Amino acid sequence: MTAPLLEVEDLRVDLRTPRGTAHVVNGLSYTVGPGETVAVVGESGSGKSVSVLALLGLLPERTATVTGRALLQGEDLLTMAPERLRRVRGPGVGMVFQDPMTSLNPVLTVGRQLTEGLRAHGPVSKAAARARAVELLGEVGLPDPGRAVDRYPHELSGGMRQRVVIAMALANSPALLVADEATTALDVTVQAQIIDLVERLQAEQGTGVIWITHDLGVVAGIADRVLVMYGGRCVEDGTVDDVLERPVHPYTRGLLGALPDLATADDADLATIPGTPPAPTDLPAGCVFWPRCPVRGDARCETEQPPLAVVGAGGGELPHRAATWCAEGEAS
Amino acid sequence: MTQLPAPGATPAAPPPAEPLPTTTPARPRWRETLGLLARNPTAAVSATVLVLIVLVAVFDETLAPYGPNEQDPSLQLQPPSRDHPFGTDEFGRDVFSRVILGAGTSLRVGFLSVAFALVVGTLIGLVAGYYGRWVDDTLMRLMDVLFAFPAVLLAIAIVAIRGAGPANAILAIGIVYVPIFARVTRASVLGVREEVYVRASRSVGASDWRLITRHVLPNAAPPIIVQTSVSLAFAVLAEAALSFLGLGPRRPNPSWGLMLADGRGFIEQAWWYAVFPGLAIVVTVLCFNLLGDGLRDVLDPRQRTLMAGGGR
Amino acid sequence: MTSPAEQEVLVSARGLEVHFPVRSGGALRRTTGALRAVDGVDLDVYRGETLGLVGESGCGKSTLGNALLRLVPPTGGTVTFDGLDVTAMGRKQLRELRRRAGMVFQDPFASLDPRRTVAQTVSEPLEVHGLHPGRQARAARVRELLELVGLDAGVAARYPHEFSGGQRQRVGIARALAGEPDFLVCDEAIASLDVSVQAQVLNLLRRLQRQLGLTLLFISHDLSAVRHVSDRIAVMYLGRVVEVGPAAAVAAEPQMPYARALLSAVPVPHPELERSRQRIVLRGDVPSPARVPSGCRFRTRCPDVFEPCPDVDPVLQPVGSAPGHLAACHLHGVVGAPVQRAEPGAPVGAGDPAS
Ligand SMILES: Nc1ncnc2c1ncn2[C@@H]1O[C@H](COP(=O)(O)OP(=O)(O)OP(=O)(O)O)[C@@H](O)[C@H]1O
Ligand SMILES: Nc1ncnc2c1ncn2[C@@H]1O[C@H](COP(=O)(O)OP(=O)(O)OP(=O)(O)O)[C@@H](O)[C@H]1O
Ligand code: SF4
Ligand code: SF4
Ligand SMILES: [Mg+2]
Ligand SMILES: [Mg+2]
Repeated sequence: MTAPLLEVEDLRVDLRTPRGTAHVVNGLSYTVGPGETVAVVGESGSGKSVSVLALLGLLPERTATVTGRALLQGEDLLTMAPERLRRVRGPGVGMVFQDPMTSLNPVLTVGRQLTEGLRAHGPVSKAAARARAVELLGEVGLPDPGRAVDRYPHELSGGMRQRVVIAMALANSPALLVADEATTALDVTVQAQIIDLVERLQAEQGTGVIWITHDLGVVAGIADRVLVMYGGRCVEDGTVDDVLERPVHPYTRGLLGALPDLATADDADLATIPGTPPAPTDLPAGCVFWPRCPVRGDARCETEQPPLAVVGAGGGELPHRAATWCAEGEAS
Repeated sequence: MTQLPAPGATPAAPPPAEPLPTTTPARPRWRETLGLLARNPTAAVSATVLVLIVLVAVFDETLAPYGPNEQDPSLQLQPPSRDHPFGTDEFGRDVFSRVILGAGTSLRVGFLSVAFALVVGTLIGLVAGYYGRWVDDTLMRLMDVLFAFPAVLLAIAIVAIRGAGPANAILAIGIVYVPIFARVTRASVLGVREEVYVRASRSVGASDWRLITRHVLPNAAPPIIVQTSVSLAFAVLAEAALSFLGLGPRRPNPSWGLMLADGRGFIEQAWWYAVFPGLAIVVTVLCFNLLGDGLRDVLDPRQRTLMAGGGR
Repeated sequence: MTSPAEQEVLVSARGLEVHFPVRSGGALRRTTGALRAVDGVDLDVYRGETLGLVGESGCGKSTLGNALLRLVPPTGGTVTFDGLDVTAMGRKQLRELRRRAGMVFQDPFASLDPRRTVAQTVSEPLEVHGLHPGRQARAARVRELLELVGLDAGVAARYPHEFSGGQRQRVGIARALAGEPDFLVCDEAIASLDVSVQAQVLNLLRRLQRQLGLTLLFISHDLSAVRHVSDRIAVMYLGRVVEVGPAAAVAAEPQMPYARALLSAVPVPHPELERSRQRIVLRGDVPSPARVPSGCRFRTRCPDVFEPCPDVDPVLQPVGSAPGHLAACHLHGVVGAPVQRAEPGAPVGAGDPAS
């Protein structure tokens, strides 16, 4: 097994809020190998975005406390000097943010922002950088890239902006690509085009990918590994086949049961998960999911936090793990 | 593959009502705003001081130890003492009493002129922002022209045409501030007008009047409220400036600006004559400004969600 | 479901157009062209059905939904609602339309006025239309509506920021239902909700439809959700409905190349299926609605483009085996209006201008 590209160990993020400390990420550990795609799925507010923002030192310094380790090619991102971290962003880690407008400068043309990124990390002539910018915009499926390169962000539609941000993240051929809801705003045909592009990059350059999304269909297509988050914890992880076809954790099962199916529309109602997710300032004792859990089949559910333990057919390189006291009913 | 129960399987039966998060009690917005304001120390102190100043202005006659024009020729330009804490002026009048009695004039001019600007400016901004197109173009060009004049010059011109006196000072200062309120309101309305909830109300058939009064104005109000506080500061200053130039309230009635103007001539022999009215102006202006800053923080929706513990 | 032919049409669009002026930059802001957001839509919505409307971002779905309710003024064509011409409605009729046709918006965080309580929001249509007059009657009706959408009646006094996304969307639905409408346009009503909450809202919409006999236009880019709730599906491309038919037929056997590409690109949450799925990846530029290609508007990206495509604008024609399945594509016979060209001797399409 090759050395992992990214190794995250016991990542914890606390954010200070006027209502008290929000425990947004609570002990997250995972690895991303070269060429591997790890999909992070989970309820809105479960800490998916915060957990990757923490890696890149992008949380507000005054209110955020980040602990744990995050080794990118052996170097700890969490203790890295800010100057070094800035240089790592780009060629080391390319990030597509959830809100495209925040990562675009409204007063610079799209091309200017792309070429700046290109030229900041290596000697590239202006003309070459521009040509590369046009090429990148074409690759992410922007119509008329030669013209779009001279537009300002506000002149583009939301979906077009999103694609510009993706192009920026890919500009320096990063070793690790972090895509936070990168294709959520796009329609399926363009989404397919972008997934194609990322898969090609992975094959050619061994890019590791963290793909955060709500769309389990996308996960099924691109992920090698899936990490299911709930209440700032990983409640289940494993290979994409294990997690999506043989889910163990009641939350994962609920999530999959709630999906309408394109092929088989029947008249039955969709399964739902009643209730609302916990506030990170006020996490329940015991299992984070218990207030909404339909199983709750163990005395420890409400008092003791279940550890992430291997379930199913044992270890292997990518074990299937879940954090629940009631794992017997698996693969049913 | 799911074991979750599907609520509401029978079409006729509504699913069980969901329990709601019980963390936040139902509380009207303005109460919340006041609560947040109280937790902002500078704003809270400023608001308290302003309330005191207003109380002083209201109960001026009871509070002032001497009448406004009670002269004692034997006590001209006396320094502060037990009997006259702020000293006396060149006619032997008590500066302390005159500062108290002048508060009413200064504040009245401030409040009335800002009230005028608020009503007229907000109305113009509202109409311009809501209806847009040529209405907007016409009204805002007009405001631009008005705004292009230096404020004091405009006020002087108005007073020059209509004559000096408190009423004209109010009108002059008010007119100067109309474009500011119009602009602030218009900008705010432009944002709110495009909000989905406004379209949603239109989609159920709400009239323009209803949309403006129930949805647009209340949601566009925060920047206008902030502007009101800040403008009050400037209006008190402007009143002082006009009085200073002899264009405001007339002697011998006390007003802070007038006293400042008169005291200036004696600044070397009797510093207290100008300094105390000046101080009154500074404190009032500062408090309105600080309150405006506090309101800006508290009324900013982003700030609000952060302080209330995050929206979504 | 009964066959469409026997059903009564509730809302109908014929040649519907919504063109927005394109202005040049600079101070003069001259109108330099038209952005054809909706460009000749023919569509019928039958009473009591759910019609799903899909298509890529910017193809005009929302604009069409708004134009059907005259929330955006159409610039051409006609819309009829229950036999009445919507485009010609006067003030009074328009108000009645607003009562009889409601809208549920995409973002539940933006569509509720943050300064008004749930009760004020839900009772607004009642006040506007003078329904259930009297404070107590209105309050009772609000309670009834909240219970209908699965909320506790006790929440009436609360403000939107105290609710989760799914709960807010329920409030939005309650508001849309207050006037007892016949027709509801749901514009991306589940798009911004969590997966587990989407299911709640989808179930609710289906239950309400059956219970109240509503007619729904369900706009969404989530094809699985559309398939789940819809009786029929319409596919839009660049301002035009290019395929429409029974949901099962459109989902299983799309007949127009764009619809095929669209449906093939829908990811399914089953890794094995997903890996073996044949995606049709479209190439070529996505045209702007301000510069619609001549002839078939899909021809710049169509994998099956052939000679008549640039010259003849295809119209909807019966395709496939299911009754009521229509598609606008020359692969099913060249039918449509030949493109008017400036130069003489322009090629003329084989079909007759059918309209
Ligand atoms: N700057 C911040 N200050 C305080 N709380 C924050 C901040 N940023 C995020 N949070 C809170 O942290 C929690 C996790 O947020 P995060 O954005 O990581 O969720 P997410 O899983 O990405 O959700 P989504 O799917 O909606 O994007 C949320 O409860 C959020 O309110
Ligand atoms: N008020 C407007 N003025 C000018 N152009 C507009 C206006 N509203 C919409 N458009 C344009 O019309 C086209 C269709 O927009 P519309 O919102 O109907 O698309 P949509 O299919 O709903 O897309 P999405 O899936 O992204 O919501 C787009 O190109 C859009 O930019
Ligand atoms: S530990 Fe208990 S409450 Fe938590 S998911 Fe498992 S069964 Fe449910
Ligand atoms: S008409 Fe021609 S271009 Fe259009 S969809 Fe059919 S084959 Fe493709
Ligand atoms: Mg996120
Ligand atoms: Mg839309």
